[in-house]
Amino acid sequence: MAEGRTGEGTTGASCAAPVVLEMRGVTKTFGPVRANDDVSITLRRGEILGLLGENGAGKSTLMKILYGLYSPDSGSVFVDGEEAKIRDPKDAVSRGIGMVHQHFTLIPPLTVAENIVLGAEPRKGATLDLAKAVKDTEELSERYGLRVDPRARVADLSVGEQQRVEILKALFRDARIMILDEPTAVLTPQETEDLFHVLGELVADGLSIILITHKLGELIGVADRITIIRDGKVVETVDASGTNEGKLARLMVGRDVLLRVEKGASEVGEPRLSAENLVVRSGTGSKAVDGVSLEVRAGEILGVAGVDGNGQTELAEALAGVRLAEEGTVNLDGEDVTRLGADTRQERGLAYVPEDRGTKGLVQDFALYENNALKTYDGPSYSRWGWIFPGAMRRGAATALRAYDVRPPDPDARAGSLSGGNQQKAILARELTGDPGVVIAAQPTRGVDVGAIEFIHRRLLEQRAQGKAILLISLELEEVRSLSDRIIVLYAGRIVGEVGPDATDEELGLLMAGREAEQTA
Amino acid sequence: MGEIFGAPGELLASTIRFATPLVLAALGGMFSERSGVVNIGLEGLMLISAFAGVVGASLSGNAFVGLGFALAAGLGFALIHALMCVTFEADQIISGTAINLLALGGTGFLLVVIFGAGGTSPRVEGFEELPIPLLSDIPVVGPALFAQSLLVYLMYLLVPVTFFVLFRTPFGLRLRATGEVPEAVDTAGVSVTRMRYYGVALSGLLASLGGVYLSMGLLSAFTENMTNGRGFIALAALIFGRWNPIGAAGAALLFGFAQAVTIQAPQDLIPQEFLQMLPYVLTIIVLAGFGGRAIAPAAIGKPYRKE
Amino acid sequence: MSEDRTPQVPDEEATRGSTLRRVLVNAGGALVFPLFAILISFLIGAVIVLATGNNPLAAYAALLQGAVGSPTAIGTMLLGATPLIFTGLAVAVAFRAGLFNIGGEGQLYIGAITAAWLGVSLGFLGPFSVVLVLLACVLTGFLWGAIPGFLKARFGAHEVITTIMLNYIGIYLATYIALKPLRTEGLVPGTDTIDIAIRIPFIGLGLGRANYGFFIALLAAVVAYLLLWRTRRGFQIRAVGLSPGAANYAGMGIGVNTVLALAIGGAFAAVGGGVEVLGVYGKMTVPFVTNLGFNGIGVALLGRNHPAGVVLGALLFGGLYSGAQEMQFATDVPLQLANVLLAVILLLVTATKLVELVLGKRARALAGARLEKGLGQ
Repeated sequence: MAEGRTGEGTTGASCAAPVVLEMRGVTKTFGPVRANDDVSITLRRGEILGLLGENGAGKSTLMKILYGLYSPDSGSVFVDGEEAKIRDPKDAVSRGIGMVHQHFTLIPPLTVAENIVLGAEPRKGATLDLAKAVKDTEELSERYGLRVDPRARVADLSVGEQQRVEILKALFRDARIMILDEPTAVLTPQETEDLFHVLGELVADGLSIILITHKLGELIGVADRITIIRDGKVVETVDASGTNEGKLARLMVGRDVLLRVEKGASEVGEPRLSAENLVVRSGTGSKAVDGVSLEVRAGEILGVAGVDGNGQTELAEALAGVRLAEEGTVNLDGEDVTRLGADTRQERGLAYVPEDRGTKGLVQDFALYENNALKTYDGPSYSRWGWIFPGAMRRGAATALRAYDVRPPDPDARAGSLSGGNQQKAILARELTGDPGVVIAAQPTRGVDVGAIEFIHRRLLEQRAQGKAILLISLELEEVRSLSDRIIVLYAGRIVGEVGPDATDEELGLLMAGREAEQTA
Repeated sequence: MGEIFGAPGELLASTIRFATPLVLAALGGMFSERSGVVNIGLEGLMLISAFAGVVGASLSGNAFVGLGFALAAGLGFALIHALMCVTFEADQIISGTAINLLALGGTGFLLVVIFGAGGTSPRVEGFEELPIPLLSDIPVVGPALFAQSLLVYLMYLLVPVTFFVLFRTPFGLRLRATGEVPEAVDTAGVSVTRMRYYGVALSGLLASLGGVYLSMGLLSAFTENMTNGRGFIALAALIFGRWNPIGAAGAALLFGFAQAVTIQAPQDLIPQEFLQMLPYVLTIIVLAGFGGRAIAPAAIGKPYRKE
Repeated sequence: MSEDRTPQVPDEEATRGSTLRRVLVNAGGALVFPLFAILISFLIGAVIVLATGNNPLAAYAALLQGAVGSPTAIGTMLLGATPLIFTGLAVAVAFRAGLFNIGGEGQLYIGAITAAWLGVSLGFLGPFSVVLVLLACVLTGFLWGAIPGFLKARFGAHEVITTIMLNYIGIYLATYIALKPLRTEGLVPGTDTIDIAIRIPFIGLGLGRANYGFFIALLAAVVAYLLLWRTRRGFQIRAVGLSPGAANYAGMGIGVNTVLALAIGGAFAAVGGGVEVLGVYGKMTVPFVTNLGFNGIGVALLGRNHPAGVVLGALLFGGLYSGAQEMQFATDVPLQLANVLLAVILLLVTATKLVELVLGKRARALAGARLEKGLGQ
């Protein structure tokens, strides 16, 4: 996808180039999760190092440690051969490290020049020397080919232009090592090309760059070397010239087979949930789902795989009725429900386990019995004439909670006091107790302990055996593979291919990276 | 027309007098809110400074000493608000409400304790009218604009000065950034906490100028609850003026005009109460989006927590 | 099932057992922090009293005497507490929907003028008109409260500012009506006095001028409780307030509940105004009452936005004000000390991080870090 450099590298990237940055034995844990496990990387002067890995692999954490936003549990950082203690971004910046985050920290009402000089403003006596700020910006801008109008308000800029401002911010502070976190996630193909051109200019000037991404194709075109990280560990570091996308995909994605729950055969029946040419806009106005058609049949689990941010969230919400689709239709058991809200679809037998249990699936400060009745509180079993009956709700919840192994099965416990796994089970209890015909489960085991994962998987398979239609959206490939009967892969809001659960890592990895199914050899 | 409103010069002078405390308090509120801290305690800040000024003047016989007392009181109370909101991450609305209550109770209490009786303090040496030679001789507007108290002249100066500080100095840039995207300020190596303390402290100082004008410029004594809602009108002026010094001053002037008219216009033309309502109605209209949405600094109201 | 293999997950705040036990534990936990704040505030107050050359013990003794030391004192306390229960409920109900209702003062004035007007014109209906008049207050307060709700739901105008603005608009509007169309003859500016027959009667029993308005206030608190915890609408309001994301996911309308929560709050405050007119003053004078709306915020905060807490908080405020009068009479300590004490209590109760710094994170969670709200929402 990315054109340009063939991977041979410029003058600085040969083996003779000095090491400007080394991270040695970095380990960082968050609670039970080991985000970085004894990670070591090196960066040479004038090279572009790609940091490749799936979501949650640990790349961002590593870079945040480098930039002083996190402190490592163990390990050290060496800049130009000297050990560096980086406690906060100021230390990092003073060492010549600059970072362009995935989510920009720009101030929309201020101008480009003002954003760039903030904190290191040029002065003329007591006043802010705006003229000099503009001049400095223009100079940097021209030197590296980062076209942007210093006097423009950031709020009026396109995303690509805003990113250039972020890069200029780092350059203004004399960064010699630049970290870019998923820079192409928000860019159009043309903007991506421009960005890589700029990176080339930076490198020609002697800067060294770390590029964090999960997009294999781009990396091969622009990086000199690529370090692959998986599950917090470094898998391998390869020369870009000596590898191909297939190899990278396998390194990035492959893992030992963990728990595979026994999945018996099941009778597959008629489609119960279907969508046709669904178009859904994201919060920022872009097309998160761009013409998706699918159908889920009774007795099957359709898995949706893909890297985070390719439209899964919006697809789930549009199918569930939490978000309205712009175009296209959604059908539930033959009925067109496209214009119906989530609660009405639920009455028709659609259960939805949302991916964000913290702020969408549960009201954290409600008791479990109130959460259990979140959609049914105004139904005949719990209310009459505007009144609700907490006693009945408690009884209903007690049964459901026990059936789904929620601990503690106390209807009065505050939802927020439960562990992640138990919260998820409580949501399942709520959604599945009403005997729905269709279940949409988005990231059902994210942040959940092993025992609860197994429980949830078993329950989903149970529903499948009972002839329900289940749509499983998950970032965990193993989960998708072990539970699904069919797997579709979502990339940039489109379905790029459909495979069976026995597809290879390479196949899946390539699809997830956007390669259309036909191109896999 | 002249019969209805009295001499236009009179009306202008009245407008300036009513507007001055509003402008000062609004400018103060602007610094606080621009840094991200809501300040509905302007009322209390004005009140405590009005009182402190009188105390200082009465103890020393000197109006400037009174001014010093007032500034100290305003700063002190403002720092309480800053401590609550920035360091203790208290709810900013509640803190502002408590400041108002504290000022109300405190001034009433101390009025009795210091001066022996409630209601009104004894008369003090104030900032009387100080006509500027030549300028005050200009027909019609001369006396209205240039035969005012020293504090009014200070107000004239502060409007362009605050504009300059906010938009032409590094401090102002950082302050504005803090109220919009504190994360950006933090990663640029500037302390969000410190900027917010500065913003709130400035609000205390400017509001105290407004308060001291009430008790020692407009009048020459302190009366219980003499601010009587002016702090909220100042807040309204700030919002109506879109958190901009020129806008806020202009809005405060407009509201001051409305107040002046209620005194001078005969009752039958427009009922006084409707004129008094005017600032508030206008602000609501502005908030509802007519004439362009009034958008507060983006990060206002929330404590800043590093990840 | 899998119970044997997976270890028990410990849950800290889960409560078990009977309803009564649950209520007691929750109430107990909620009371600790405000009581603590009250204690500290009184200590600070003692220091202030000492600094002015008075004896804190004597001052506080007089305070207590003036609050609950005699039936008349209790009567004064109830008189002071009654309107604060209404304005406190106005804040608390709105807060449950995640909204800050600062408009209690204006809403109360709207109710007061409604009662002053209808009390006179409906006088012919006899004692039954009290109910009618108060219902009318509910209506006018509801409509007045709906205004900021609508402005927020439709235009995103933040309710803190709009309710503050509407306070003054409401006060001026009511004042205008009291001084022009409804003005009475005589020295005291205001409306006509309402016939004694349709006023809220005194309780008697030596409680001075205390009237049954207090019981109407208690009834209002019960209504607020039932509304929030026993009706469908209340369920929605609470869900929206605690988690707009989850409420939206469950199909609840955020806008509708925003408008209703503020409207209901307005209704409560307006009834409070009606009760003041029908029970205490018999008319709406100019000037009328002050600070009841803002004190309602303090009451609601102390009462943790729960109707029962609001009643207790209102009694505290009422008792302090009633006691302060006696304190000033008996010991020369000015009664404004009450305002100072209340302000300090408010500051302490809202400084939850202070609690964290002193006692640790769990203590802060118990103190209700949920109180934090921002304008940006």
